[in-house]
Amino acid sequence: MWTFHWLSSRTKQILSTGNLKPIHIPVWIGGLVISIMWIAPFIWMVSTSLKPADEVMTKQIEWLPRHVVSDNYRKIFEYPVGRWAWNSIVVAVSSTFIGVLFGSMTGYALARLHFPGRSFLFSILIASLMIPAEMTIVPMLVAFLKVGLANTYTAMILPHTANVLCVYIFRQFFLQFPPELEDAAEIDGASKLVVFWRIALPLARSPMIAATTLVFSSNWNSFLWPLMITFTEDMKTMPVGIALFTPVVGAHTQLDGMGPAMAAVTILSVPGLLVFLLLQRYFVEGISHSGIKG
Amino acid sequence: MKPLTFALRMKRASWYGIKINWSAYALVLPFFVPFSTFTMVAIIFGSYISLSDWGIVGNPTWVGLANYQRAFQDEYVIKAFVNVVKYAAIVVPGVTSLALIFALYVNQNWFFSRFARAAFFSPFVVSSTVVGLVWVWILDTQFGLLNQYLVKLGGNNIPWLTSTRWSLVGVSIATIWWDLGFSFVLFLAALQEIPREIIEAASIDGATGLETFWHITIPTIKPNIRLVITLQIIATLRIFSQVYLMTNGGPSSSSVSVIHYIFTEGVTKFNLGYAAAVSMLLFGLIMLVTIAQQLLIREQA
Repeated sequence: MWTFHWLSSRTKQILSTGNLKPIHIPVWIGGLVISIMWIAPFIWMVSTSLKPADEVMTKQIEWLPRHVVSDNYRKIFEYPVGRWAWNSIVVAVSSTFIGVLFGSMTGYALARLHFPGRSFLFSILIASLMIPAEMTIVPMLVAFLKVGLANTYTAMILPHTANVLCVYIFRQFFLQFPPELEDAAEIDGASKLVVFWRIALPLARSPMIAATTLVFSSNWNSFLWPLMITFTEDMKTMPVGIALFTPVVGAHTQLDGMGPAMAAVTILSVPGLLVFLLLQRYFVEGISHSGIKG
Repeated sequence: MKPLTFALRMKRASWYGIKINWSAYALVLPFFVPFSTFTMVAIIFGSYISLSDWGIVGNPTWVGLANYQRAFQDEYVIKAFVNVVKYAAIVVPGVTSLALIFALYVNQNWFFSRFARAAFFSPFVVSSTVVGLVWVWILDTQFGLLNQYLVKLGGNNIPWLTSTRWSLVGVSIATIWWDLGFSFVLFLAALQEIPREIIEAASIDGATGLETFWHITIPTIKPNIRLVITLQIIATLRIFSQVYLMTNGGPSSSSVSVIHYIFTEGVTKFNLGYAAAVSMLLFGLIMLVTIAQQLLIREQA
């Protein structure tokens, strides 16, 4: 059976016990076809981005480009894509770093420390999940305009520094964390802050990766708030800048066709998709945690 | 028991000294300050703005409930609220049923199920700009992939995004594709929690696959189904980026959503007081959904 080592254990079990029923085959093929169809938009995106202009707007369905060219990629660098990428990196990295740090601290305190107001804090965290972020955009816009921080990195980073999902993920982890290590350190006279920083946090590797991947992805993809708070071309983030390639919002596509637009979204999505494939387990873990709240 | 526990906790806290209390608050404070500012303070400030006439220049003037009165008579507000309900009517059943079917398939752990899991989840990790642009291209009336296949199968070109009849459906298709991954993962996690022994015991007792599904799987994951439906309703009522990117609310407001209208009023026209009032109405609708869901749970328990 060594040739079947790449099959799942259940498949092996079915094949070896001879439990293969006729129903299994269409279900298997159907599932495979649908999952390929589900990623077909990505394949079409990459394929279009590599086609020369006269092969894009045609009535033939060509999944593979007849000629592979880099014209579309060269074209989009006529726009400040590098600057948008830099803005996105600055904003997403700093808001994720701060969000995960503050989230881990609060998650630890909620799981481990007794203090007056703990259950009150936890209940307002749960209640806050009912308040969609979009409800607060108008007052936030007014406030940032008033204090003169509109169109700055600060305005894009600050509202993302408190992330409730992070708190959940870390609280859940520390609730199941064996207390012996911390007790030993405390007997040696270390304060709770030192215990958290030196012992608990370094051991929280798995929730750290889960929270970072999930929060980074949502910060990187953040759209409405950076769209509202940036007014100049040079402050836009990648998703907001590249939105100028949509026919209804910007004029770029009307000039250049769909080729450059597909090149732009390929650049925007491929790094994220690769990171996702590598860290898939942690994405799933983070989301399953967020489901526990129900 | 409650006061005793509390007293014991306080005693313990003071026994360890003030240090413990202080460090807990030190850990919580950096999170709590931005958290309360950008949720609670922002909501209170927002309700104040909604009661005033607040433009970009000049001082705000108090107008009481005038903004709300105007909103209830504004045909575009009514249109936007009707539209988000229509979006929910298409997207919520679509996402819930497909996510459940896909999760059941992947949970079978068949050939390529790891590939299928990654495939179903992958759209969730890309930005709305990617979703919007890719689907604008696929749903293009003349050269779009979907219409070309429809024509091959003997159908007609459908103006997915450029007609008042179809624009909302076109945006919904892209939304289902984008949103499914999250619900799919929640369902998959729930299905994996069901002990294998129960399923095996049922099959030994002679239950067919379908019977096991209806009498064991569905009742076990019922709370998860309810959670997915609630989260998806709330997410769909807040629909914005896809609408903005794919149709910009058009043609002639046929696909406009509430957040899109708030964006137009607040950011494009700077009618900040009015935009804040419409936000409060949407907030009210979302609260209603949440409360209704809570009542439903209590009734069944």
